[in-house]
This record gives sequence, C-alpha cells and structure tokens, in this order.
Amino acid sequence: MTSLRWIGVIAWKDLRAEFRSGGRIAAMISFSVLACFLFSFSLGSLVAGRDVAAGLLWLTVLLASISGAGRTFDTEEEDGAFRHLLLSPVSRHAIFLGKAAANLVPVALVAAFTLFALTLFFRIAAPGSVALHAAILLPGAIGLAAAGTLFGLISRHSSLGDSLLPALTFPALVPLVFFGATASSRVFLDRPWAEISGPARLLWGIAIGVVAVGALLFRYLTDD
Amino acid sequence: MHAQEATGPRHGMRIGHGNGGRLAYLGFGLAAAGVATILLVHWMVAFWVPTEAAQGVVQRIFYIHVPAAWACFLAVTVAGLASAAYLWLEDERGDMAAVAAAEAALVFGAIVLLTGPLWGRIAWGAYWDWGELRLTLTLLLWFSFLGYFLIRGSVADARKGKRFAAVVAIIGVLSIPLNHVSVVWFRSLHPEPVVFNPEGPSLPGEMLATLLTSLAGFMMLFLGLFTICYVIENHSRRRYRPTQPDSSGALT
Repeated sequence: MTSLRWIGVIAWKDLRAEFRSGGRIAAMISFSVLACFLFSFSLGSLVAGRDVAAGLLWLTVLLASISGAGRTFDTEEEDGAFRHLLLSPVSRHAIFLGKAAANLVPVALVAAFTLFALTLFFRIAAPGSVALHAAILLPGAIGLAAAGTLFGLISRHSSLGDSLLPALTFPALVPLVFFGATASSRVFLDRPWAEISGPARLLWGIAIGVVAVGALLFRYLTDD
Repeated sequence: MHAQEATGPRHGMRIGHGNGGRLAYLGFGLAAAGVATILLVHWMVAFWVPTEAAQGVVQRIFYIHVPAAWACFLAVTVAGLASAAYLWLEDERGDMAAVAAAEAALVFGAIVLLTGPLWGRIAWGAYWDWGELRLTLTLLLWFSFLGYFLIRGSVADARKGKRFAAVVAIIGVLSIPLNHVSVVWFRSLHPEPVVFNPEGPSLPGEMLATLLTSLAGFMMLFLGLFTICYVIENHSRRRYRPTQPDSSGALT
C-alpha cells in the first residue's frame, strides 16, 4: 500500500471515529459560534463589523482549533490503539499526515461556521467573495490542523495538559494568523486580488512549511 | 575508580577536574572578558561615540540592543542545531548544549525586549507597537523558549521531555529568517539593518567600531554563559544520575 493510501485510510478512520462520537466537533463549533455572539454583544455597537471581522475570525478559529487539538490523540491513547498504530508498518510521515488531514475537517468546519456567524451577528451586508475567503481560510486551516496535531501529541504527555498548548502553539502560529487576518481583512473590504495575493501566497508557504516540519519531526515525538 | 567518574554520562566530561574544570575556567574567563568589554562599551557610548543626528541621544541604546539581539539569535540557532543533533544522534551532549543555549537565549532575549521598548518610547512615542512584526516575533520567540523549559519540566518521562523540547527549539529557530526579513519585506517603523545589508555597513567609523566592540563583548559573554551552563548541566546530570550496581552487586 502506498503512503498516500495509508494517509487516506488513517484520515478516514479518524474521521469516522470523530463523527461517531461527535463531541469534539460539536464543542469546537459551539465555542466558535458563541465567541462570535459574545464579540458582537460586546463590540457590535462600538465598531463597524467589516473593520474587525477578519481579526475576530482568525482569533476564533485559532482558539477553537487549539481547544480541539488537545483531544486529537485522547481516545486512541486511552485504549492503547495509538501504540498499535505506531507498531504497524506505516511510516510516521503517513500517520502524521493522516491525522493532520482528519484534523483539517473540524478546523475547516469551524472556519466556515465562524465566517457565517460573524457575518450574521455583525450584520455585514457585503462580506466579500466566498471563494476568496475559502482561498485564504484553507491554508490557514491546513497550518492550524498540522500544528494542532504536532503540539496536541506533546501536550498529551505533559502534566500541564491542554494549558500548555497555547504557550507552545501561539508563538509558532502567529505568522499564520498575522498574514491570514491581513488577507481576510482585504477580502472583507472588497480589495482587488492584487492586494490579497501577497499575504495569501505567504499563508500557503507557511501552511506547507508547518505540514513539512510536522511530518519531519513527528517521528521523533513517537519514537520510544 | 572515583564515584563521579563511574556514574558520569556516556559522552559527558569530567567536572571539577580535567576537561570539565578547564571548560568551567574557560567559561568564567570568557564571561569575565565579555562583561569587561561591555563595560568598556558603556564608556564608549557615554563619552566617545558621536550623537546620531536624526534620533539624538536615544540612538545610543542601539549599541546594547543590537548586539544583544544578535547574541539572542545566535543562542537560538545553537539551541536549534544542538536539538537537531540530539534528535538525530541521540547524544546527550546535544541536549546539554541545547539547554545551555536556550538559557542564554532567554537572558539575551530579555535584554532585547527591555532595551527595545525603552528606545521605542522616545523614538516612536510608545513602548510597544503590536503592528510591528519584528517586535511581535521576537517576543513570541522568547515565549517559545519559555515553552521549551515548561515542556521539559512537565513530562514525567525525562527522555520524552527532552525530545519534545528539542522539537520546540527547532520550530523556534525557524522563525529567525522571517524575523530578519520582516523589516525589509513589510512596512515597518523598525530601523532596517545597517550592518548586514547588500550595500555593506552604512555606519560612520566610530559608530561601527563601538558596535563591533559591543558585539565582541556580547559574543564573549554568550560563549562564557553557554560554557558555564553546559558544565553545570553536565555536572547536575552526573550528580543526580541513579547509581548503578557493579558486577559484585554493590552500588558504586
């Protein structure tokens, strides 16, 4: 079986388990929608929605994805399934990429729900092109999913647990959020593609870099 | 055989005598020379170097801030490379060097993060500007090395803790290139590089001499602190390593 096939098999296995239990995705989406409601409740009368929507969008997606990342390995580690997965003849790169691909789905769903909730709660009549939003949020979601997979495994073994995750992930992910929020704010303000393409390209570069570094280093986190 | 020699790490050096003792003396010598040079730089900054025309007297903080930043980035790079060597070769010396460099990175990073806002308060009218990518990246780099020590101390399995921390250090070092180009690629209030730029150093002779003297002082201080921390780390690992029974079953 090729590595690509293994990545698909692992991602599909994780996604099926995720949707059967449903708890993590529902919690992440609930968190993001409630955060948007609270943002609109506290800021709605003070600022114009389009001016702050991009920052709030990326902040909410970051916090929701980090809150879910800590649970990535919980079920498998509790019943020893992860140990058996590591003993199988699948490369560590494929395991990491499969798990990151499975993590991408909840993060992408959170991003979509957050965008919808912000548009609704802040009453943004013209939030910009949905396709452009997707082109910006997709690399962000890929980077967040890969970083969440890598750091989720680290925090799983720490006595500090999920409270350690922000200290580890935020420094690594701030460039992603910085360029993501810059690009998204230009989409919200209906700027031409020429103004959006620069941060969008950087975003894709960072996302690919995070995935590559994660795939390279995952082996060293799982070697016993 | 002496008990400490018998229980030392496989690749470690002797402490208190031999290589370890010489290393400790070398570290203290370098640190003392670094401190003396930095004191000389303070005299040069106060009495010798001319005042920069555009920024005035506040520019003089540059002679401490910039070399401290270079020492910080060097420490981060050494920590990242030593961590990569530890992961690859599984050699304890790599982890000890990474810990020593990470401690130095925190110290020099703190100097950078204290002196930068002092300059910014006069030059920009604010201690901090969150829109400045270089400032934010430097602060986050400092926090990621704080995370390096948090993860080491919070994992029950010491070997796993070292591996996890090594991964954090390697990811931390990857932000340095972005930090360097951030003032060139993006609109920024932070001054652009005046030494490492394509046209060569753009500083007048006395300013460049003061900066290079300060750079030499900070590099010696970094090497001195790095060596001392390495020796202490090696010594503490030897001291707290569980004693092993010899062939007769007696503890050495």
